[in-house]
Amino acid sequence: MKLVTAVIKPFKLDEVKVALTELGVSGMTVTQARGFGRQGGHIEIYRGREYEVDFIDKIRVEVACTDEQLDAVLDAIVNSARTGSVGDGKVWVVDVVRVVRVRTNERGPEAL
Amino acid sequence: MSLATIIPYPSWLNPADNTWQLVAATLVGLMSLPGIAVLYGGLVRKKWIVNTMMMVFTGFSLTLVVWMLWGYNLAFGHLSHFGPTGSFWSGFIGHFQPLSTAGAEQGQAVSGANSLIPFHFSTATLAYFQFVFAAITPLLFLGGLVGRIKFKAWLLIVPLWITLIYCVNAALLWGGGFFAQKGAVDYSGGYVIHLSAGVAAFVGAAMVGPRRWQDRENAFPSNLMMVAIGAGILWLGWNGFNGGDPFYAGADAASAVLNTNVATAVGVLTWVLMDMFFSRQKKPTFLGAINGMLCGLVAITPSAGWVNGTGAIIVGLVAASIVWVAWNYLSRVRPFSKVDDAMGVVYTHGIAGLVGGLMVGIVADPGMVQYGVSGAHFKGAGAISVGGWFYTHSFHQLWEQFLAALWIIGYTAVGTVVVFSIVKFVLGGLRESEETLALGDIAIHEEEAFPEPTFGEPVLTPSHLHPDNL
Repeated sequence: MKLVTAVIKPFKLDEVKVALTELGVSGMTVTQARGFGRQGGHIEIYRGREYEVDFIDKIRVEVACTDEQLDAVLDAIVNSARTGSVGDGKVWVVDVVRVVRVRTNERGPEAL
Repeated sequence: MSLATIIPYPSWLNPADNTWQLVAATLVGLMSLPGIAVLYGGLVRKKWIVNTMMMVFTGFSLTLVVWMLWGYNLAFGHLSHFGPTGSFWSGFIGHFQPLSTAGAEQGQAVSGANSLIPFHFSTATLAYFQFVFAAITPLLFLGGLVGRIKFKAWLLIVPLWITLIYCVNAALLWGGGFFAQKGAVDYSGGYVIHLSAGVAAFVGAAMVGPRRWQDRENAFPSNLMMVAIGAGILWLGWNGFNGGDPFYAGADAASAVLNTNVATAVGVLTWVLMDMFFSRQKKPTFLGAINGMLCGLVAITPSAGWVNGTGAIIVGLVAASIVWVAWNYLSRVRPFSKVDDAMGVVYTHGIAGLVGGLMVGIVADPGMVQYGVSGAHFKGAGAISVGGWFYTHSFHQLWEQFLAALWIIGYTAVGTVVVFSIVKFVLGGLRESEETLALGDIAIHEEEAFPEPTFGEPVLTPSHLHPDNL
């Protein structure tokens, strides 16, 4: 099993969600996040003064999936989250050692 | 006493005047609570919201207590004569006495402000109306001090400043004092309130020292929607501010309200357009619009019922333009660049009030009559109106306005230094400690504007904070 973590532009969240549900992904966890990458920060003007905002609002999406689903999931996220401009985000994958469903104590892929 | 003689309206009392005066006073009170509280609370960093709002509410309360005990009679009571009649010393301050007897509160209002025309409401009405003006003045200069002034210092500064500075300026210009006798006019407080508050904010900010550099570099406003609420309350509250100052629910009150609103609208648009075309970023900003609004409101205040509609538009345009240039360029030169006037009170209130006060001498229309009563004697010359240079081709009024402005600036500056020095001596400092400044609200009040309770439900009962365990 794998855990896919994607940091995406906030307004792309719905597209990513639709693409993932169409794949049959059974769940996802979404967090409001802030960060910077190569896009850097931006400037805001308050009362004529400029302020550097280092961290930009992003959405962090976490999806656990089986090994077989992985590439389809990655394609779905990347294709739906892309705008082509800097700041589209990053996706990374880590191995998941064990998944447990709290309600039933099921373990392994069937707990996804 | 037979029932027939028990009537709620004494012969001198006009229910409409009394009603309008109390409504106008309440509108002005709303400008402070919650107007200034949420406007400033929205403009400061999140960590300073509670402290800022606390100083607004306590300042308002302190001024009212001072006002009842001695403030009202100092500013608007019978003048004390320390010198020959007509000299400065016979017309700068009233009497030091409380306003607390039934007769004093319920009797017909009398004030040097216009002793020649009788008021048609009671002293309590006039005292409350004048109080809300007094109360907002320290709250305005608070804008220069937020984010580092010691809370205890604020509690001492307000009563001292109201007594020593506000009451004197009010008596001189409104209480029938020296400058009023000379002919300087201030319809609703462009000088007594706004110019004075601007000067006090600047001088006070210089004495208290700047905010922490981290707070200045990171001065993100906490909530622009709260700024919108506060600013909106200020704008419409100003209908009472300027509309209440004829003291009669008459035609001039309506003119003052209309003029106030049009000058303000022009102020907003002027600032927004200047931001769009002349600022470095070429962006129309909301907080810029609010600055423009304040410029219009403040600048029309000295002349609200004495200018015609065209005059009001000119006032809004000129004031917002001048303050915009001052805000963007004057702020870069000494001493302005060296003083951390956190909210820019010296610009939007000080300079706007000065410009508005001088504009009276230019655009005031003698056809705009403050009391639609002919034969009411004011200096033996019919109903009250003011003639500016446009109409009289004389610089006389402008000169009187100029002299009064010099007094307000000079006296407020010196007086503020004295008041702040006294408080500094008494408390051993005007600033919160550095550790306190780093934390803000939570260190001073153990409260924060957006508290985050622990997640979930408490499990261990009863907690150590439960009264049973103390």
